[in-house]
Amino acid sequence: MLTPLWLTLKIALLATLLAGVVGIALGWWMSQRRFAGKNFIDALLMLPMVLPPTVLGYYLIVVIGRNGVLGQYLDRWFGINLMFTWQGAVIAASLVSLPLIYKAARAAFEDVDGRFLHAARTLGAGEFEIFVRVTLPLAVRGITAGLMLAFARAMGEFGATLMIAGNLPGKTQTLSIAIYDAVQAGNDAQALWLTLVISAVCVVVLVVSGRMLQAKH
Amino acid sequence: MTAILDLRVQTRLESPGRSFVLDVCFSSATQRTALVGASGSGKSTVLMAIAGLLPHVHGHVRVANKVLLDTQHSIDLPARERGVGLVFQDYALFPHMTVEQNLAFGICRLGKQPSEAERDRIDALVRQFDLETLRGAWPRHLSGGQRQRVALARALAPQPHVLLLDEPLSALDAQLRVRLRHELAEMLERVQVPALLVTHDLSDVEALAQSVIHLDKGRVVDSALMESSV
Amino acid sequence: MTTSSSRWLGKFTLLAALSLGSAALHAQEVVVSAAASLTNAFQAVGQAFEKSRPGTKVTFNFAASGPLLAQIQQGAPVDVFASADQETMDRAAKANLLAEGTRADFARNTLVLIVPATATAVPQKLADLGNAQYKRVSTGTPSSVPVGRYTMASVQEAGLTAALEPKWIYGESVRQVLNYVARGEVDAGFVYRTDALIEKDKTRIALTVPTTTPVSYPIAQIATSKNAALGKDFIAFVRSDAGQQILDSFGFSKP
Repeated sequence: MLTPLWLTLKIALLATLLAGVVGIALGWWMSQRRFAGKNFIDALLMLPMVLPPTVLGYYLIVVIGRNGVLGQYLDRWFGINLMFTWQGAVIAASLVSLPLIYKAARAAFEDVDGRFLHAARTLGAGEFEIFVRVTLPLAVRGITAGLMLAFARAMGEFGATLMIAGNLPGKTQTLSIAIYDAVQAGNDAQALWLTLVISAVCVVVLVVSGRMLQAKH
Repeated sequence: MTAILDLRVQTRLESPGRSFVLDVCFSSATQRTALVGASGSGKSTVLMAIAGLLPHVHGHVRVANKVLLDTQHSIDLPARERGVGLVFQDYALFPHMTVEQNLAFGICRLGKQPSEAERDRIDALVRQFDLETLRGAWPRHLSGGQRQRVALARALAPQPHVLLLDEPLSALDAQLRVRLRHELAEMLERVQVPALLVTHDLSDVEALAQSVIHLDKGRVVDSALMESSV
Repeated sequence: MTTSSSRWLGKFTLLAALSLGSAALHAQEVVVSAAASLTNAFQAVGQAFEKSRPGTKVTFNFAASGPLLAQIQQGAPVDVFASADQETMDRAAKANLLAEGTRADFARNTLVLIVPATATAVPQKLADLGNAQYKRVSTGTPSSVPVGRYTMASVQEAGLTAALEPKWIYGESVRQVLNYVARGEVDAGFVYRTDALIEKDKTRIALTVPTTTPVSYPIAQIATSKNAALGKDFIAFVRSDAGQQILDSFGFSKP
């Protein structure tokens, strides 16, 4: 009964992790440089948030589908096929979450007063040490807020996930897809039960993250 | 008299709506030197250039016989190797670290536990700047005077060759400024490190410096020894 | 008649004509929810129907039979419902959604097993799907898509339920199953013969699959329909020689 829940949590957590690493790195990189075309790259990174999920799903199929731009090599050389797998679902979910983390991380890094970094440099710290000991701790609140949003978004991801991972009960049927499935089949009792479950989880996530952000003070 | 500070720095000075060339050349033989000028004359930029925090700086910087920059001979030490202590205008204490952690930052590197000797040095600094009761305090809970002591102690922790102070008293109200000026004078007397002090307040100059360099629009227009130091 | 009163009469006539006209326009539109497998055939039927009755408009809503039923249950303004199996129509009847005495069977279809045109492995018999080279096999979601139910019944009949259980990739509708096979995302799929004919270039039929019940398509009027007369006409057209000929050209057989 609760398999979609564990699947959803697993996929959302991994997607947030993946998007987190990439988003924080990109946010840091973009906060430090000024170069021609910066706005263009920024727009590109925000695109997954603005594009309709079905458009994203389509692009993903074009890239990682079995005959896709990358997918055909994955299939031919490694025998890996990401369609209809929970791994494919993780990729779809992390793609839609990426803009949220990137935006939050970049803003958080930009908010760090440059003078702290200067002070750290004169005190003998190298760039990596400065990032770990000064920048990251000062940016962590903003980044955490971004991660929370990303997690919630990943949990609710539906359109692109459905196109890439399909609707396989026990394997890729996340909570949102299971609800859709139940409604399609006219199974209202099941749909209601699943909706209550995901609503409860969302409330818990919001309460916990709210407490976490407060405690940091 | 051998120069303690000997420098020529050339760079482009960018600020909102303005951009001009900074071409500063001076040397000073006194222990405590003041750098004065109107706001926007480039004083802070000179400090940043000495500390190695600015890109595209040409010229040479020699401090207490250590060469930090020499464009002709392709020497350009990164900031962390220059041995320059910097005290910022509003002290820039790390808000997410305690007083003790702020002090230790300049002594212990990432991932390393402080050695016996390093711990002794931190203790000595705490004693010297009267911070014993404030070891575990957070910067936001400190008064202006306390913050100044911590900022100075932190800058001196890695045993720099020179101390740079960027308008250390200008963020304070008049009453506090007088009191802290005394304290600062005393502290600078105690430490053996040569200091370059940027200020636009001539009272600071009288109390704290032995010679003065005057800047205007990115150039040195005057330099003099204070009468009291002669 | 004076100029002003004739002008007033003119305006009144125009207003009356417009309102009558719009009412007439409204009366000339019929909404048909039809199973996904009927997409191409019914679009052609719709065009022929509109031609035979100038001024009428047929609006189609194609999807798997299950979701279509769910929509009607939620109150979608549908006049005619055509499903791909009797079971879905039975459910509609049980929920009192159908207009009395309007239900009729209008076509039959065949279940086939297809593979991508580029496939190197082609099953000779149904049991071959149990082999290792067929990793992914697609059909419709059994709970809501008729082709999935026909497939599962046939698979069970052939004793292959356990063997195929880990291989299923469910599609939202029979057309999605067709799409998966055409794109090569799956190794084989169960669709209707009429669907396989749509993607002749990208798929090939491996074999015809015997079904435990005939693949029979029923059609009926919805009880709450506001266009009962036109709905009745449409159903009559589908069952007429003209309609049956069109269905035949797409590969459907007689009911």
